[in-house]
Amino acid sequence: MYQLSATAVRDLFFKGELLAETIAEATLKRIAHCDQKTGAFLSLFSERMMDKAKKLDAKRKAGKPLGKLAAVPVALKDNIHVFGELTTCGSHFLSNYRAVFDATVTRLLEEEDALIVGKTNLDEFAMGSSTEHSAFQLTKNPWNLACSPGGSSGGSAAAVAARLTPLAFGSDTGGSIRQPAALTGITGFKPTYGRVSRFGLVAFGSSLDQIGPLSHHVADAALAMEVIGKHCLYDATSLSLPSEPFVQKLTLPLKGMKIGVPWNFLTQLDTSAKAHFEGSLKVFKDLGCTLVEVDLGALKYAISVYYILATAEASTNLARFDGIRYGNRSKRAATLDEIYDFSREEGFGSEVKRRIMLGTYVLSAGYQDAYYKKAQQVRTLIIERFKAAFKSCQLIATPTSPTSAFEIGKIQNPVEMYLQDIYTIPANLAGLPAISIPSGFCPQGKPLGLHLTGPQLHDAEVLRAAYHFEQTAGFHQKIPPLFNHG
Amino acid sequence: MMTEEEFLKLAKLCRISCTPEEKTALLKSLTQVLGYVAELNTCDTGSLPTCNTVLENPRTIVRDDTPGDVLSRDLFLANAPAHTGGMVRVPPVLKGEQ
Repeated sequence: MYQLSATAVRDLFFKGELLAETIAEATLKRIAHCDQKTGAFLSLFSERMMDKAKKLDAKRKAGKPLGKLAAVPVALKDNIHVFGELTTCGSHFLSNYRAVFDATVTRLLEEEDALIVGKTNLDEFAMGSSTEHSAFQLTKNPWNLACSPGGSSGGSAAAVAARLTPLAFGSDTGGSIRQPAALTGITGFKPTYGRVSRFGLVAFGSSLDQIGPLSHHVADAALAMEVIGKHCLYDATSLSLPSEPFVQKLTLPLKGMKIGVPWNFLTQLDTSAKAHFEGSLKVFKDLGCTLVEVDLGALKYAISVYYILATAEASTNLARFDGIRYGNRSKRAATLDEIYDFSREEGFGSEVKRRIMLGTYVLSAGYQDAYYKKAQQVRTLIIERFKAAFKSCQLIATPTSPTSAFEIGKIQNPVEMYLQDIYTIPANLAGLPAISIPSGFCPQGKPLGLHLTGPQLHDAEVLRAAYHFEQTAGFHQKIPPLFNHG
Repeated sequence: MMTEEEFLKLAKLCRISCTPEEKTALLKSLTQVLGYVAELNTCDTGSLPTCNTVLENPRTIVRDDTPGDVLSRDLFLANAPAHTGGMVRVPPVLKGEQ
């Protein structure tokens, strides 16, 4: 059963060939057996899931209508609220925090009868590209346990790659869904900014954050988008649009599509990575697409823009963690000031402290124009360059990550780590839909990803191109050998 | 290069106190990152406006002013580190308070 896609699990349940209870039991058994190796999950909702499964079996037996994700086990990154359950954000600060409401995404998944399995590991407050910054545990790449699964949604990516669940959800502020998807050989989709509600997602960089699916199959990502891509009154940036038939649009022909390649942004690719990328582009050529060169040289500034804006927003968003109303309160604190200072000192890890300090610095008097205002201007430039590029193509292709999965502990320089997201960050800065799909393996046998970006609200085109690539290339069927057993 | 004095001022603004080891590591890495992002000075932005939203058709969105479910006091206090009499408890703010 672990090899099945989310759609296949759902269909077998619809037909009565698999009971929801059987699916839930098998999922928990597999996690118990396999997750010691990869460390994807921070918490499991075993009892809650079994109760829901029993109710779903009764619902099906009674002939009542079933949801689009009926009996599909799904995992949620531990910065998405599930009422009554822990939301730790991978931080000591929130190690005992229980959500007091459901995220909109959680509600929509529940309404469509998904089985929420539990919460997955992440870099603390989603700040990182390796999941090494979780306060609780390391998550290991199912393809090579010495390597990172990427991040910050590394737990969700590892859970899907190891076939613990066919579908998981993450959040993507600068590549946190797509980079781990690439490093673990699965699909990861970041929707257009505003397509999915952020209500109940613990905020990091509010102008950049977006929830999206991670899956083995592009069709499952499209199905997930039909469920979560809905307007929400509780998120002021939620787009007031009806849900789209993303699955139905997948099979529309691709022939004639123009794919843009920004070679002047890819000058740092080494020979081997460039050859691999060119092989992926050939797949599109063989599918009848035309490749056109586009000028996106300005994207070289994306990392700098991102680390000014995202940290500025993070420093503001994380000001709420003060040790007063919820979360960690230092036992050493005797005064109000000490509660703030000591609780934050004890509760936050080094990467979070670094980003709060950087964000506070770029917003502080005397530096705001030089850093924050300048970055917002370059963000405008990047958006304009994307718009110009999309006049001559429908999608833009790049690799997802400059490297395959790196060894845990290998990257210590923060700038070097930030550069992991060089190809994924631009889509967040411009609010564009983007996907990473498995494109093969590096010579050391570790997965690589192809990254496709579309104009705003062209989520369906991005998914369609990814689907055709997947069906031709076939890398989505590869399972890490360590986890390819029942 | 960020000076130690600047760092201490920043830490105070952020409400983050650091151990001496943390201070050394953070000072070094903040200097590295600020050195990197200085590349933006080479980008000619001329009179480009700042980006205030990525949404192509932003609207002012205000929900209807109708009463709805709100968080119950008990549920809220269940996450509070300390509470008393239905309120969050904090150390005395003014001298002489209990």
